[in-house]
Amino acid sequence: MKDKPPDSSSRVPLFKGVKLMSTFTRRALISKLALAAAPAFAAVPREESHTLIHVFLRGGADTLNLWVPYADDNYYRLRPSLSIKASEAIKLTDRYALHPAMRPLEAAFKEGRLGAVQSVGVDNTTGSHFECQDMMEHGDTMNGVPAGGGWLGRFLRLRAVDKQSPLCAVAIGTALPESLRGAPAASVLERLDDIAIRTPSGDSAAAVKALKAMYGADVTLLGERGLETLDLFQRVSALQGKDYQPENGAVYPKESFGSGLREIARLMKARLGLQVACIDLGGWDTHFFQGNATGQQAERIKLLAEGLAALDADLKGHRGRYTMMVTTEFGRRVYENASLGTDHGRGFALMALGDRVKGGQVIGSWPILADDDVNVNTPGPGGLHLETDYRHVFAEVLRGSLGLHEKEALKLFPGVPPKAVGIM
Amino acid sequence: MRTSRRLLLKAATLGAGAAALAGCERVVTAVNREFFGEGLPPKLALPSGTEIDPEFHLLSRAAFGPWPGDVQRVKKMGREAWIEEQLHPDTITDTACDLRAERFESLYFSAGDVYEFRKPVLRDEITRHSLLRAIYSRRQLFEVMVEFWTDHLNIDLEKGDCIYLKPSDDRDVIRKHALGNFHDLIRASATSPAMLVYLDGKSNKVRRKTDDKPNENYARELMELHTMGVHGGYTQDDVREAARCLSGWTFDPKRFFALNQSEAFFKPDWHDDGSKQVLGQTIPAGGGRGDLDRLVDMVCSHASTAHFLALKLCRRFVSTTPQDSLVKRVAAEFTRTRGDIKCVLRLLLNSAEFMASRGQLLKRPFKFMVSAMRALAADTQAEKPVLEPLQRMGHGLFQYPTPDGYTDDELPWMGTLMWRWNFGMAIAAGRQPGVRVDLHELGKVLRDGAEQTSPSRWFAHLVGRAPKPEELKNLGAGDERQTPGLILAGPAFQRC
Repeated sequence: MKDKPPDSSSRVPLFKGVKLMSTFTRRALISKLALAAAPAFAAVPREESHTLIHVFLRGGADTLNLWVPYADDNYYRLRPSLSIKASEAIKLTDRYALHPAMRPLEAAFKEGRLGAVQSVGVDNTTGSHFECQDMMEHGDTMNGVPAGGGWLGRFLRLRAVDKQSPLCAVAIGTALPESLRGAPAASVLERLDDIAIRTPSGDSAAAVKALKAMYGADVTLLGERGLETLDLFQRVSALQGKDYQPENGAVYPKESFGSGLREIARLMKARLGLQVACIDLGGWDTHFFQGNATGQQAERIKLLAEGLAALDADLKGHRGRYTMMVTTEFGRRVYENASLGTDHGRGFALMALGDRVKGGQVIGSWPILADDDVNVNTPGPGGLHLETDYRHVFAEVLRGSLGLHEKEALKLFPGVPPKAVGIM
Repeated sequence: MRTSRRLLLKAATLGAGAAALAGCERVVTAVNREFFGEGLPPKLALPSGTEIDPEFHLLSRAAFGPWPGDVQRVKKMGREAWIEEQLHPDTITDTACDLRAERFESLYFSAGDVYEFRKPVLRDEITRHSLLRAIYSRRQLFEVMVEFWTDHLNIDLEKGDCIYLKPSDDRDVIRKHALGNFHDLIRASATSPAMLVYLDGKSNKVRRKTDDKPNENYARELMELHTMGVHGGYTQDDVREAARCLSGWTFDPKRFFALNQSEAFFKPDWHDDGSKQVLGQTIPAGGGRGDLDRLVDMVCSHASTAHFLALKLCRRFVSTTPQDSLVKRVAAEFTRTRGDIKCVLRLLLNSAEFMASRGQLLKRPFKFMVSAMRALAADTQAEKPVLEPLQRMGHGLFQYPTPDGYTDDELPWMGTLMWRWNFGMAIAAGRQPGVRVDLHELGKVLRDGAEQTSPSRWFAHLVGRAPKPEELKNLGAGDERQTPGLILAGPAFQRC
């Protein structure tokens, strides 16, 4: 049934005959030079006010059509109908271009604030959405030693000896993501208005007054923490019930992903001690009629790009206080299937956005190694060969954003010493 | 494929299944109230002193807080007699609680058979079971110790296959030995499939003629966290030698044809059978499977273990900074009785230091929630909406990621106040999903013929002492609907 690509020898480089890459943006180049001498795990000062915004693309996103390797003929050969034409794509470097629907994020790349790491993944060979998500969210691997809890939960627990805000971790949605399991405090909410002190009468003023009096009269640490919590609550309630006006002309998509990002912006602006915000975007399991520059996946990409760009614009006055990391459980096969979609693959391009991100580049070896057919030599689905262990990226992003120390990194991912990836 | 016992059970009960369940739960509540004393007593004598009532204090520490009527019961029989009764849980009838908590199938299966269940079901059942037992069991001290050992021998459901193996660990290790002997407890834990997976003992192998290095993970935590404590006087060599003793004990749920499929087993060819030096003693070569018993006995009998456990118990029951003299006495009792948990608790709970520590501990979120539900004689089946606040406060049951277990330190829990306030006020307002309370009835019992239940009566009922004048003032106007919730949210109720 499946159209076999003409040259189907497996495990050949996907891309052949590409010249040296030379088009780093100036800013990225400067930041690269400046940090060239930095050790893999230089201590970064701990910063309470920085937030890691973790976007999980559920379903296994086809990042080959997001970060389009337009300089390779094989990409076009293996995807006769699904590839993004070079003429339609947004050229970034002499190798990569962005999907046209990524237009809202083009500027961030050019400014050196948006970058990607190619061929990231988990060593799981089952090709199962559930297993791969599960491992990635727990920070496990198939052959490694599993650790308990979610990776972000573990990280926050390492920090739990310090004073933590009750809103240090927030997941937008209705269920706690596995990554936050074990966190010292993790709130699941759809809207900021979910944070409320609920009283029988519906009026919280009297309750707040009484709580203030009660905790104010307590001379111990408990009293102090009570008053701090009330202060926090009052800052949240000051934001509630009003129409939120995004700044700098930011327009969030109408979908729940957009409103979720908007709530993250509100939480951040209120300075509530938010350290980690998790949000999901589903709909990436494009086995059928994936589309190319337009179509099913293009709509998802548009939503993702418009959402992130809106958040980035809205938070323009807070740059340096956040890092966005976009991941998915696995990439997809390089070739298209007979129903004009792509099947589960392995490596994917992980992207990060923020002032601390060493953007303006797509990290990874060139040509990209991939199975261009159903794999025969490696267990598990074919696709991009794993080049970077996802845990190295996670640890580096945590170091750059929330100041993970090397010692902590070893507790976070036992047996996985940090390794410089170059994205932060 | 294996025949699924569970599927058969399901098929058999299909007719009488889901539709009847909701109704059935209401029947359980009614039956419990009517016949098994889960309801409210006709009258409640309230503490009137300025210090927390001694019986209330005992019930706040050796139990998850008093159920309405408990304080009177303890007063009547005497604290010592109550402690004695609690130390022998088998003598206490627990029918009402059993009716609520005995229905979770997965908790009765052997470790190997639990693989038939889906993970969300397993998580749901073991969690609900623990919460229901804590709220409704009359074997309160037993449940308090189950919580203590669950932290002490922590296993996170989310690691590897632990979610399938924790139900049997909860049953055959923690609950079986919660008030038994410490040596037996550690011995059971050492070969519990869940522990073998959680701390990698499962893959601790030293095959002959290979350069296999033992996996030291469990050996280290056995000494550091389970027995001697990090400064207990063992060396890194001791850890390695202990790991050699333990090598060969493993678990494999896929051993279809083995008789003891669901148990841990000893694989002689994975065991390092040379002689070992642990803690200055020699374990001669050729000990085989017996090496484990010798090691467990050695570390459990070590003087550091008595001190470490005494300190931990004192921190849980008395104060985060307990007096040295008390720790020493508890440790001596631990040594004298070779780790008899009953004897140790008896000494601890009857000590003057225990009584003098009233109101000095901060309730952890689990205890906060359970004590609030008990104080209000709440009716719940511990479904998802009741577990959610626990999650939010970072105290999800069986979800602590690292082997040290949920902490007794106070600071990490102080970030949970906002959710405590919301839970307290929601439950008292009858707005906490999944929990039913009848404050009208409780108020009637409390006010003892008066027109309205005064805030000071609510306070005395919930906190165990009369409120100070300024505490009363701070509660604001005596709106009956608001007062109980505010007291549950206030600082006095966060302590015990």
